[in-house]
Amino acid sequence: MNDDIVPQFELGDVLAMRCGNTLTASFVPGSSKIAMSAYRPVKWSSRDAPTDTAGEDPVLIYMAEETTLYTEPLLRSLLAETNATFETLQTLGQAPNGVLKTQEYMKISRTYRSIIRCCLEKLKHAKKMPEVQENELKEQRYTEAIMTFYAIECLWHLFEILYMQQQHNQMIVPQLLEWTRFHYPHTEDQATDLLLMAEEASECDSYWDTLKNLIMLGQLDVTRAILSQHRKSNQAAFQAAEAILKSMPVYQDGYALQKFCSQWEYWQVDLERKLASQVFAAEPELEVLMHLVKGNNESWDKELLKSQDWYEYLPGYLLYTRPTCKPFELRIAVTNWLNRWSQLRPNWQMTQLSRMVMQLMEHDVKLFIYDAQKLNDSHWFATHLIDLIYHTGHLKSYFEQQTIDLAALRHSMIFEYGSYLMTSHNLWQLGIDYLDCCKHEGTAAIELLLPRIPLRNERQAFKILALAKRRGLINVEQDICKVLSKRAYNDQRYGSALEWATRSKDVLLVTAIADFILKHYSRTGIMLCQDVITSIGARMFISPRLVFLSKYYEFYEFYRQRDFLSGAELLINLLASKITPDYFWPSLLIDALPLLESEDPKIFSKETIAILQHLEMELVPLIERNKLNTAKFNNQTSKTVFKDYRVENVEEILDLMRLACARNLARALIIENTAPTS
Amino acid sequence: MATKVAAHYISEKVSKVRWLPEKLQQSDRFVTGSWDMDTNFVRVWRLHSNPYAENVDHTPRCNDKVAMENDVTGLEFVNNDTLAVSCADGHISILNVQRAVEEDQIERTARSERLHEFKCSKTSAPCTAIAVYGTDVATVGEDGCVNVLNASNLKQVKRTITADSMSLLAVNYVGQHQLVTANRMGVIRMFDTRSGGEGQPKIAFMAACQDAKSSNYVSSMATHPMQQHILICGSEEGSITVWDLRNLEYPASYLSAHNSPITDIGFHRQDPSKLFTAAEAGEVWMWSEKKTHIDPSQQDGKSAWLSGDRVRALVNVDGVLTNIRKAVNSFDVHGTRLVCGSDTEAVYIVDDIL
Repeated sequence: MNDDIVPQFELGDVLAMRCGNTLTASFVPGSSKIAMSAYRPVKWSSRDAPTDTAGEDPVLIYMAEETTLYTEPLLRSLLAETNATFETLQTLGQAPNGVLKTQEYMKISRTYRSIIRCCLEKLKHAKKMPEVQENELKEQRYTEAIMTFYAIECLWHLFEILYMQQQHNQMIVPQLLEWTRFHYPHTEDQATDLLLMAEEASECDSYWDTLKNLIMLGQLDVTRAILSQHRKSNQAAFQAAEAILKSMPVYQDGYALQKFCSQWEYWQVDLERKLASQVFAAEPELEVLMHLVKGNNESWDKELLKSQDWYEYLPGYLLYTRPTCKPFELRIAVTNWLNRWSQLRPNWQMTQLSRMVMQLMEHDVKLFIYDAQKLNDSHWFATHLIDLIYHTGHLKSYFEQQTIDLAALRHSMIFEYGSYLMTSHNLWQLGIDYLDCCKHEGTAAIELLLPRIPLRNERQAFKILALAKRRGLINVEQDICKVLSKRAYNDQRYGSALEWATRSKDVLLVTAIADFILKHYSRTGIMLCQDVITSIGARMFISPRLVFLSKYYEFYEFYRQRDFLSGAELLINLLASKITPDYFWPSLLIDALPLLESEDPKIFSKETIAILQHLEMELVPLIERNKLNTAKFNNQTSKTVFKDYRVENVEEILDLMRLACARNLARALIIENTAPTS
Repeated sequence: MATKVAAHYISEKVSKVRWLPEKLQQSDRFVTGSWDMDTNFVRVWRLHSNPYAENVDHTPRCNDKVAMENDVTGLEFVNNDTLAVSCADGHISILNVQRAVEEDQIERTARSERLHEFKCSKTSAPCTAIAVYGTDVATVGEDGCVNVLNASNLKQVKRTITADSMSLLAVNYVGQHQLVTANRMGVIRMFDTRSGGEGQPKIAFMAACQDAKSSNYVSSMATHPMQQHILICGSEEGSITVWDLRNLEYPASYLSAHNSPITDIGFHRQDPSKLFTAAEAGEVWMWSEKKTHIDPSQQDGKSAWLSGDRVRALVNVDGVLTNIRKAVNSFDVHGTRLVCGSDTEAVYIVDDIL
């Protein structure tokens, strides 16, 4: 947690060094990367000419990315689990206000902390694994993660004590003691050792030091237990100490404050008298302990020099001097304490953690939040804490005084955090939930970011499509389907391409693919992806071209199954339908030829006339237009409309068709008119 | 229902989960496959009794893992300790699990050649699903092909069928040699693994859909463990279509169920009166046939699932898991325990399911 050190970059390649190691950089769109390359400073006065060394060295482009702790798989579970808690909080926030809500918020806060603690435990466990021990880089990453999240838990816990409970006569000292106990477990471990050693403990070198620490951490019960095991515990001094510690009044909820204070004062006076009358003189070490319990400044100052951080013994000191301290009184106590601390240890440098603890205790939440954003956790802490603050509403008046728009702050934090998750590799499913909370901006961001997730396979694509569908982002759905359709098309998987295109509901794309299949058929006689066309069903109505393809395929099937009568009927329908694409007219008419010319007549006179009509009304003008075009651009062949071999002898085909029609008409008329009428 | 649900975050998006087969006792080991991670693993987990929390009986602990080349798309046991795994790089692998007193072990014993590829670009096509019958393993992929292999010899592909011109999403055995496949349009086809190419029966039927103009893929299929002719399909729109394979003219039943695509569907292995469905929106439902409703006229073995519109009256639906909000990708039931793998990067273990 090195704060205030702005990271610096330099390229240092040959090209960069030549022009003074300067660089230029720009953000890579759609990701959190920055592209950097060497750069020669240009001024208005510099000449616009290549340098002497131009082209000698390669231009290297460096991609820089913000380092993040979350590449470590263990920390992913933290993100995933907090995501679930975050969602619970959002639903809770929408529920009607009730008495129990404060407790629910407390529960949420504890859940967040227990997630961190659980994660810390996993990290500590993993750090001891041999494969991590061997890998220095990995070990360092683990250490960094443990430090960051330890600090976060510590701060969150303190925040919970000071700001989450909204009772004005709330006593905070016992809770603060609990807080230090958790964050300085070392002394407690030593105490456990001493307890296990029973009587022999008193010979231990660290015996009295440990006891002093315990007293300063306010752990009276443990102290008493250890003292009672002392060899001389039967002596008067020890008995007196036991009596003092045992009789120390402890405030309990529902107790009259006035009464407690008078008890407390009485106890204090009693202790003072005993100290003055040299009750403990026989045991100098025990006397020091009693002085500490008395809150004697000299003794405390002496011991303070050994402490690790400024706040370590503050709750203990408050226990012996101001046991009824309230949250709003804490600020003064902290200021005094800090003055004392800085006089004792003038050279001590504040770490970020201890500064943030100070900010919390001094009720400087604004600065605290500012500092929280500098932690190396990609704003995980700040985002979730602000969200919680916003929901509980405890600090509402504070933020109003500070003229901070809390709702807007929360909104922007969640938005940033959500966008960060959405853009980082494989965290998009978590990120989208955060963006969902951001109203219009969130939806817009989702709309932009969702199609940018690299599509590795269809299964993933379906997941993204489902997300888009649930949010009603039709554009995103269509874009993804179009991309997949194009991809399949380029890979010559036309069936797949056609299906994706129908999913995209994009008329142009569907038409283009149907066109391709029809043209391919008229060129080669091979019908592509028949299975898809068969089962396209009602989806064909997306594009008239697809309807044509589908119907034509039906005709093709009839023809293949030698069901000529149904085929002929369908063909006539197709001719009359006006959805036949220009390029397919020759194919379609030629398909009619065998039916017209077959040995036994298959097409009635009326239909034959219809065919003839289409021939003259559609195809002939088409050919004329085509000729005209060819004439206009005389260096071009007539391939603009008909791209197949039938084009060259289209006139011939026309004649053949006319002939076939005439012949069939004659035949059909005779049969129809001679057939016995019933 | 007095079920207990415990969520365990495992830092991986889980695509597949299976209990290790146990004949006589409740299985306490399961395997998971992950997807969309930097490295995807097949892990073997073991339940340990949990002395700390009151309402969580067991916590799973990862005993061993095998790194895969790409997303795990299918996991099926071939026998008690052999596991076939399909992967999105178009290969399948055979893994072997060794049960031990202390730490179970899992290792890869074989890997196939590339089974699925896009013909034109020669790039690998994801293998999307896997089905097992005896020692036969059938795979389907995005290239629309079906491959049949023997688990003991992955080097030799017994049969390749070019089944479809688009990707297949699900495959299931309906007999020793009969396979059904489902594609992205919801078309289900039946194949015979004994004949290749032209000799295939041309049997195709389509999953029902509410809106005929929108696409509706079939993501998952299951056959009734006792009555193999009952085929149940879960689809994109969240509905369930039931087919009687002896009569393919029309679907036997159609039920609208979830509001999101169904991701997995399956009967309880030992108790076929229970069917489970999982959905993309984070739900697992249990469908149980009402015992009291079976009247004597139905004793001829006709299943409730084939009774058309009356299914609703004959089957109860219970939510086993709800409100997970992210896709439940896979589940498996063994005895009274259900395990689910989800995109929330957690596995959910539900006790006392029956």
